[in-house]
Amino acid sequence: MTVSTTNIVRVKRTARVNLRVLRSPAAVISIVWLVGLVIASVTGPLQQDLTAVLQGPSAAHLLGTDELGRDLLSRIVTAAAPTLLIALIAPIVAVLITTPLTLWAARRARTESVMSRISEIVLSLPGMVIILAAIAAVGTNMPAIMAIFGVLLFGALYRVFIGQAMSLHKQLYVEAAAVDGVKPMAASLRHVLPNMSTTVIVQFVLLFGAAIGVQAGLAFIGLGPQPPEPTWGGMIQAASRFIFQQPWMMIPTGGVLALTIIAANTLADVLSGGTAMPPPLISLRRRKRRAAADAATPESADATVAAAASTVEHEPSTGGLVVRDLVLGVDDGPDLVTGVSFTVEPGTVMGLVGESGCGKSVTSHAILGLLTPGLSVRSGAIEWDGVDLAAASESAMKRVRGHEIAFISQEPTRALDPMFTVGSQLTSAIRRLRGVSKREARDVAEQLLVDVGIIDPPRVMKSYPHQISGGMAQRVAIGLALAGTPRLLIADEPTTALDVTVQAEILGLLRNLVAERDMAIVLVTHDLGVVADICDQVSVMYAGQLVETGSVRDVLVAPEHPYTMALLAADPHAAVQLTGATHLASIPGQVPAPAEWPSGCRFAERCRFAQEECRSAVPLEPRADGVGQVRCIRRDEVRGRQEEWCQPVTSGGAS
Amino acid sequence: MFVFILRRIGFAVLTLLIATFLAFVLVHLSGSTPGGVALGQTATPEEVVAYNEAIGWYDPWIVQYWNWLVQVLQGNLGVSLIDGRNIADDISKRLPVTAALALFGTLFSAVLGIVMGVVAAVRGGAVDRGITATAGIMLSLPVFWVGVLLVYLFAVQLRILPATGFVPFNINPEAWARSLVLPVLTIALTAAAGIARQTRASMSEALTQEHMRTLRAVGTPTNRIIYVHALRSASLPIIASVAVQFIILFGGSVVIEVLFALPGIGQAMQAAVGTADLPFVQALVLVATLVVVVVNLALEFSSRALDPKLRAA
Repeated sequence: MTVSTTNIVRVKRTARVNLRVLRSPAAVISIVWLVGLVIASVTGPLQQDLTAVLQGPSAAHLLGTDELGRDLLSRIVTAAAPTLLIALIAPIVAVLITTPLTLWAARRARTESVMSRISEIVLSLPGMVIILAAIAAVGTNMPAIMAIFGVLLFGALYRVFIGQAMSLHKQLYVEAAAVDGVKPMAASLRHVLPNMSTTVIVQFVLLFGAAIGVQAGLAFIGLGPQPPEPTWGGMIQAASRFIFQQPWMMIPTGGVLALTIIAANTLADVLSGGTAMPPPLISLRRRKRRAAADAATPESADATVAAAASTVEHEPSTGGLVVRDLVLGVDDGPDLVTGVSFTVEPGTVMGLVGESGCGKSVTSHAILGLLTPGLSVRSGAIEWDGVDLAAASESAMKRVRGHEIAFISQEPTRALDPMFTVGSQLTSAIRRLRGVSKREARDVAEQLLVDVGIIDPPRVMKSYPHQISGGMAQRVAIGLALAGTPRLLIADEPTTALDVTVQAEILGLLRNLVAERDMAIVLVTHDLGVVADICDQVSVMYAGQLVETGSVRDVLVAPEHPYTMALLAADPHAAVQLTGATHLASIPGQVPAPAEWPSGCRFAERCRFAQEECRSAVPLEPRADGVGQVRCIRRDEVRGRQEEWCQPVTSGGAS
Repeated sequence: MFVFILRRIGFAVLTLLIATFLAFVLVHLSGSTPGGVALGQTATPEEVVAYNEAIGWYDPWIVQYWNWLVQVLQGNLGVSLIDGRNIADDISKRLPVTAALALFGTLFSAVLGIVMGVVAAVRGGAVDRGITATAGIMLSLPVFWVGVLLVYLFAVQLRILPATGFVPFNINPEAWARSLVLPVLTIALTAAAGIARQTRASMSEALTQEHMRTLRAVGTPTNRIIYVHALRSASLPIIASVAVQFIILFGGSVVIEVLFALPGIGQAMQAAVGTADLPFVQALVLVATLVVVVVNLALEFSSRALDPKLRAA
């Protein structure tokens, strides 16, 4: 479910390459610059005026003249076409060698291992020195030198290409083509090469820029085309000799070279889809206070926060967690959670249930201020010990995180830092949270590991996360969460990634924590079996809002909301409890995306009981039976009809 | 582990053999012969042939290469065709110059590049766009042009640093340092941009890892998350990119050494190629490859020591 919510933030780049280039002004300017240089170069004349040497820019000579009175503009432009065209040889040779070899190697493991060895050797050759040795052999024959440069690029290029080619080859449709009897090379050309084309083009343009630089560098040290033939490197060299008399000469000569390489690199950047990076998982900057964003001045913002905090303090504190009308949203985007409220009493377990994309995980992240950047609390309150965590400062959050509220996540093996041992992660958290010495922290860590049911703590302490099993990693993660003796544990799908037997053990461990330490747990899950097993209260979420709350007994045995009924009917563990259920039901359709929520009942689209009246907004109302709430306008008509969800929804199907 | 070390060293030796044989072939394909170069234009063709025959130039390549290898293993790299200098002695005098240039250049660019990359990845937004654009331009600017501009600024205009030339450390350490400032600054700019790009990519990827949320949930301070945990998991590719930059700086120092008149390996290479000093070219390819191979080995072993997963394997 984390995946579906983050997809909203991470904009997918699906635009076609050519469109991307045409839409980017930088890319268009780059192309115009490169093509314009070549055209001007082919058409422009060479001018010389022996009476005007080493001049600055003037009307007659726009970029000034060199030491022999030659017009710099015309020389620069004349040198452009040979420079650019000869520089093309290097990427052409490199791509022509590397692409077929990559396609060939991607299909056979043995060829690939030989090829990667060869590429490694080529990569280890000192490129510039080999090129100079080659100049010793073939002279300053630039096309030949560029071809040799292209061959030397094989090592680097192969590494870039082979990774992508191998993963493309593993794609099902390529394998399917092989099964269909398409010849391997034909399959590569038809299915793999087109998908690699962007990478190939990007690398081509990058190498083109590099080749221009190498060419100019060689000319600069006198190993390029020999004078009087104009070359950019040669002109920069001449300019550097006359830098005392006419420093201006440096600017146009080097500037054109620099701009040309910048143009090539810019083009490659745009072609490759830009240099966008994934947003960090956690906010690294100081939290923007919600109140501060609304208020006009910082002082009044503080006052608002203080006022909010004080009003909370007047209420009798239950010592538990109170979430009130919580609204979470994507910055500049739709709401993800609208008005969720629930209370968690000390020593109880509250289950937050729903399908993927209902907003359960983001709600659980919001409690500890762990929302992914790009998501934020729009309104509502998260009250803990008289403090509103939704509006709390970073330093206030620091006092709560780990000390009072802890968090364990879905994937235990990925929740631990792979670069540090279990022991070092535990002890550094314990030292910080309990303020004890290193030695004491070690003892506490070992005791915690014993508490979470680990048999051989000293060995596990020395292990890295990849060396322990998923179940053991979740035990360690729970031990880590206990480092600061918290009173509330937020568990985001703590058993989803584990085997069934390990799941039961972890649930048993959590149950013990509640019993022995009087801890409260907010348990996010989509598994009603887990809810039945461990929870006291349950809140069912659908499309960002609560649809049913109550005690586990009431909600699971006598569900009042059609969505809860549907979940129960679709649950493999709960199915047997329904009388007459012979097969597992499935709920038609899927959770609507946050931007597409209807104004009426959000489940109406998929509900077998939906009628016209469901199109208007539905409030939460008290349950008919027991304590809790239900959000269904036809609640009284649909009660007790959960068996109907076991039938296919569309009429005309099987019985 | 032992097998791994042996295999990597064997591979390094193979790379050296291939590189030097390649240089050998290139030298023989060139129009020049040792006799022609050593005796100059005044010599008769007979004298040239006699010289070449005396040193075995017409023997089969494999025999010549073998003889060269045997000499190299005894520490004998031959003498220059131009002035009869002992090549091994000459290179050992030049090596400290290039090594200092590459080492200081790498250090400076690593510090600059890692800071740029970390700041870009952590701050994001406009800061990131600014740093990324700056790195893109730094990467595109031709080093020799930047070098000349720096000379113009610091030596010609401000007169605070020497324009070109080199003073050995044991003669005057202060002048030695001053003579290295501009060359190091020049090469570090491009290298720093490369390291900054890699750091930014690795850091931003590291910050999306699931365990960042765990760290935050147990109250780990932001600076510790960034500089201890994220930087640590981003460290392998960053170190690799620093090693690559060192290799590039070492091998690519030719242009810088010519520009700043530094008597290093690169300058010798330019001179040797220009004068067709064939044994010198051959020896310099050996030295340059040796540096690459040794740096790569060091990188392999340090990566293994740094990554717990690789270490256990």
